[in-house]
Amino acid sequence: MMHRFLTLLTVLFTALLIQPAAAQDGPLRIEITEGVIEPLPFAVPAFVADNAAAEEAARNIAGVIAADLTGTGLFREIPAKAFISGITSFSSPVQFADWKAVNAQALVTGAVSVDAGGKLVVRFRIWDVFAGQELGSGLQLVGTQDGWRRIAHKVADQVYARITGEGGYFDSRVVFVSETGPKDKRAKRLAIMDYDGANLTYLTDSSSIVLAPRFSPTGDRILYTSYETGFPRIYVLDVASVRRRELESQDGTMSFAPRFGPDGTTVVYSLSRGGNTDIFTMDVGTGRSTQLTSAPSIETAPSFSPDGRQIVFESDRSGSNQLYIMSASGGEAHRISSGTGQYGTPVWSPRGDLIAFTKQSKGRFHIGVMRTDGSEERLLTASFLDEGPTWSPNGRVIMFTRETQGAQGAASLYSVDITGRNLRRVSTATGASDPAWSPLQ
Amino acid sequence: MNTGQIISGAGHISLIAWALFGNLLASEPIPFEVMEVTAISEEQFAAVMATQRTPDAAAEIAAPQAPDMPSEAPALSSQVDTAPEQPAPDAAQSTTPDAAPELTQTAPPVEAEVSDEPPVLEPPQEDMAALVPETTLRPKPRPVERVAPEQVAPPEPDTAVDDVQREEVRPDESAEEQAEESEATAPEEAATEIVTEAEQAAPSKSVRPKARPARAPAPEPAPEPEPTQTAETPPEPSGIEAALAAAAETSEPTSAPTSSGPPLSAGETDALRVAVQQCWNVGSLSSEALNTTVVVGMQMTEDAKPVSSSIRLISATGGSSGATKQAYEAARRAIIRCGARGYNLPAEKYGAWRNIEMTFNPEKMRIK
Repeated sequence: MMHRFLTLLTVLFTALLIQPAAAQDGPLRIEITEGVIEPLPFAVPAFVADNAAAEEAARNIAGVIAADLTGTGLFREIPAKAFISGITSFSSPVQFADWKAVNAQALVTGAVSVDAGGKLVVRFRIWDVFAGQELGSGLQLVGTQDGWRRIAHKVADQVYARITGEGGYFDSRVVFVSETGPKDKRAKRLAIMDYDGANLTYLTDSSSIVLAPRFSPTGDRILYTSYETGFPRIYVLDVASVRRRELESQDGTMSFAPRFGPDGTTVVYSLSRGGNTDIFTMDVGTGRSTQLTSAPSIETAPSFSPDGRQIVFESDRSGSNQLYIMSASGGEAHRISSGTGQYGTPVWSPRGDLIAFTKQSKGRFHIGVMRTDGSEERLLTASFLDEGPTWSPNGRVIMFTRETQGAQGAASLYSVDITGRNLRRVSTATGASDPAWSPLQ
Repeated sequence: MNTGQIISGAGHISLIAWALFGNLLASEPIPFEVMEVTAISEEQFAAVMATQRTPDAAAEIAAPQAPDMPSEAPALSSQVDTAPEQPAPDAAQSTTPDAAPELTQTAPPVEAEVSDEPPVLEPPQEDMAALVPETTLRPKPRPVERVAPEQVAPPEPDTAVDDVQREEVRPDESAEEQAEESEATAPEEAATEIVTEAEQAAPSKSVRPKARPARAPAPEPAPEPEPTQTAETPPEPSGIEAALAAAAETSEPTSAPTSSGPPLSAGETDALRVAVQQCWNVGSLSSEALNTTVVVGMQMTEDAKPVSSSIRLISATGGSSGATKQAYEAARRAIIRCGARGYNLPAEKYGAWRNIEMTFNPEKMRIK
């Protein structure tokens, strides 16, 4: 019996030893779990001008596309001087070997023409160089000749979307408060510009203080607070006609911090009456308002969730400013911020998964994000004064106000990726604060 | 309770009581002497020893001689020292006071030019933090890099030429005594120098290569862009999307030709994994694509290059079709880019890596 057992054991042991040397069946299987995070190299050679009238636009469009993509921090432009071959014809086959040699992983080719009606016609293709394939299909955009920048932004949005898998944000605008003059006598006026600082236009004069502009979900209207009457009042401004009207208000009250709901007909805002501040909603069409909170503490800075079912706001009901979430119809709120410090100006991400906020802790201000349940809080910035975050249309980038210290301190706009990388100053002609990002146009 | 347990219990109790009250565990500190010791250098020690060394005895010491003294006493004088002459200061030189500065008519202050335009604001410098290296009294030697930055396959063992020439011994059934079975000594290399394959003459004829295994037809080239006016036009389904649809329709993974031959060692597999990882760039992927794990299959040429047209998506988990597409394209780029010059794989084991399935799992690279 014992001898048989030992024999069996020996056979099993021998089989285990022999197994690795036996022939392998099926394909070799390996798992890749580590990669690299670095900007993707791309090339945008100048677009081909199909006629003489399109030559200038052909040169400029490629530059704007490259600037858009590079500005994300996710892409790296390969300079034109490194190109081995150029694109002389939109329909000619791409010499992938030449682009592989300069390590261009994505290639954008295009052609521009001006048609008989004076319209600018832009055609473009996006190529995966190493796969030797086109990413998606070619597209054609038609617009006015003055609108060549918008067309370029749209091309960049397509490139961004096809490579990253999420929507772009280049064809969008930013409304903000333009600031001029010394700190103790600063003139403020509403201004609107492309997301990259181009096409700046002023919407109001500087005769009264304006605060907190916010876009409607379609980007055609702007809510803002003005001290025109001496008290803060909420106005709604039509972007196209620059006409404005005051929302319904009650005497002896102060209304501020307005923000559109996702349906575009409801406005949520703060109303201060008798030393107490609560959150209200108002139907823009009828002017009928509804009180959502009634605590003796200060509740302000409300922001709807993208589905319109919930509202995140800040309150000092616990003794310090913290973030709370309640139903869009009011009722009991639950606190989501749990770290040390003071939290404020929460804004719900367009994706619905994150909430951006301002945090003050240990004498420093931060812009941060957290999950909607308050978990996974991450601080993205730190400075003397960072505040007022606003989300890009795709929920990937946050723009905010940064103010420098001292009597000569000035406010300016910055943007940062939600990973905390790619912190950049947004170019503005004057001082700037309180940005609000529009949806894609 | 039996007697043995009672005796054992009593004994233990007695032992514990003795230990507690019988000063078994009490201990007084052992007296010790304290001596102050000063550390000195080798030079100081040598100096101390030099002072304590007995001086060498001189063989003969000459007695000192008294100096010669003059017989007469010197003459003394009492003349008083005269004070040295000091030159008298020239009073005529510095009598005039300093000239007062010439006062001219004070010019009226120039009005400052004040413009209404605000000053141009310099962009504030971003907060920068720099790590200050810790200062140490003595630089530490740099540690030797003991682990190679990349995993490489273990080298083949050197072939040792046996000193004794032996013949092969086979079992002989007719023999009365069976000799121990052993292999014959391998003959030495026929060539006296290494001749690379490139230096050899090309063969006069070669066997016709086998046909490639059948695969899905390649997607047709994309047509010219249609004259649409809006960018919102849904793009035509590309070859990738068709492959995605095919992968979604077929629950069974694509059947790959069966490989055979000895498997790769762990080191060789790791070397391939590291090579692909270096080109797997997930920096431009969306959050959803970073939640998507894709399994990509491919065939390899004998020079260890991936056949681009054979790269296919086998399966995907965790993301939408759009995210799967981005994740697959990033994986495909990694395979092609780093395999452009051929992976470092042993040619003699081609059967083991002719067909490869790579699982790209971005869990560790995910943006939360």
